[in-house]
Amino acid sequence: MVLTLVLAPLLLITLAGVLQLGALRVAAARVRAAADLAALVAVNDQDDVELARSGTLRLSADAVEVAREYFARELDLSSTLLGSAADEIAAAADIAAYPAAPAHDARTGARYDRPTVRIAARVPVKTPVFGALAFRPVTTIDVLSVSSPR
Amino acid sequence: MKCRAGAIFTILLLWSSPALAWDPSREDGGDAPPEVEREPDPAPFIAPPPGTYYVTDTYVADVVTSTGALTTYSTTTVHESTGSYARVLDTVGTGASSAFDGSAFNGRRTLGDGRSVAGTYYENYVLGADGFVPVSIVFFQDDAELARLLSGTPVPGVNTAPSIPATTSATPRPSARACCATERPVVTIASPTRAPIQPRISLIPLGGPLATIEKIRGRAVSLYPRAFVGDREVRVRSWTVIAGDAGEAVLTTGSGAVPFRTSWRHLAPPGAVFDVVFRIEVDTPETGHRTIDAAIGVVVRSPALER
Repeated sequence: MVLTLVLAPLLLITLAGVLQLGALRVAAARVRAAADLAALVAVNDQDDVELARSGTLRLSADAVEVAREYFARELDLSSTLLGSAADEIAAAADIAAYPAAPAHDARTGARYDRPTVRIAARVPVKTPVFGALAFRPVTTIDVLSVSSPR
Repeated sequence: MKCRAGAIFTILLLWSSPALAWDPSREDGGDAPPEVEREPDPAPFIAPPPGTYYVTDTYVADVVTSTGALTTYSTTTVHESTGSYARVLDTVGTGASSAFDGSAFNGRRTLGDGRSVAGTYYENYVLGADGFVPVSIVFFQDDAELARLLSGTPVPGVNTAPSIPATTSATPRPSARACCATERPVVTIASPTRAPIQPRISLIPLGGPLATIEKIRGRAVSLYPRAFVGDREVRVRSWTVIAGDAGEAVLTTGSGAVPFRTSWRHLAPPGAVFDVVFRIEVDTPETGHRTIDAAIGVVVRSPALER
């Protein structure tokens, strides 16, 4: 009886922690997918004027705005998991477009050989169980997505 | 009762009178105008075969010139009228066969890869007492090839680099010498002087010419096959995709006012491009009826994630 009273809370705490970790992984996967999809959509937008002029592929001039808009849209589908509004997260994201190649990314130091869109964001995700266990109730996930046509 | 009916009938019969209507089909001939006596034509008109024109330039010889890697097949003419006539039989592209192959007195050459050169078959006529008499067929070659193309082995629809296939350059168009006429020492046939035609492909109606384009997979694109004489654009009568991967094309042939619309949902092998070859038909008073080929390389790219 005593053993049960002692171990039951520990088991419940452990179970809650495991469930919270699983939920966090799911949230991280969804946030990463949101960034990937937004980068793909932005890269898929070709500059038609440049194409008609030179025949080469360059990103559309509004590639950054397109990436930010779709990042917010995708995040909004997981709004219950987020620690802040999707629009705010997308607005704060560091999104860069490199219309012409080659280009160097000052943030990551990477070299891009084709037109590229890069999304770097810090996404707060709710972790209420962790908060109840004396950890932080919001966990920030760093996401980096890079896309280019090849 | 019978008496009453008979009386009514009799009354109606007595009241009847002939109608004075005009009979349009009556042929009494009384008012016909006297027939005018016609004099016979001093020179009866003999209708020429369709498309026949008076020759002003005379065929001299086939010419093959090489400048670097470029070999040009053309025909020389001399500006001379011999009283003969000619008409276009067939205009053939590079490698295309014609029903008149073997019938021209000057033959038809082949390119370095064995394909027949592009050009036009003309039939020559002399005007005799019985009308236009065909006397010979001549082939005016009009083609060019790049030597570097001969070294590669092209894969149908996919080439490893954007290339221009053997294209019909537009050499000034000639006329032909009839070989078989006996009435005249030299029967010459010529076509009107025709200016060189440069085929171009652009992505917008007034855009610059492009040899290669990069497209995102699945995105629609419109290509405008065009033709130029010097710097001046001439109207394209029609175009047809004759080779290459046309993708998800809406149409593979159309008039000059309609662009070629398509998209590609698949990618070429790594490092390769899709070569699309158009046959452009022009038919203006300046150029005559001609076909020229134009090619464009299409690099299809697909957005992907970089890991």
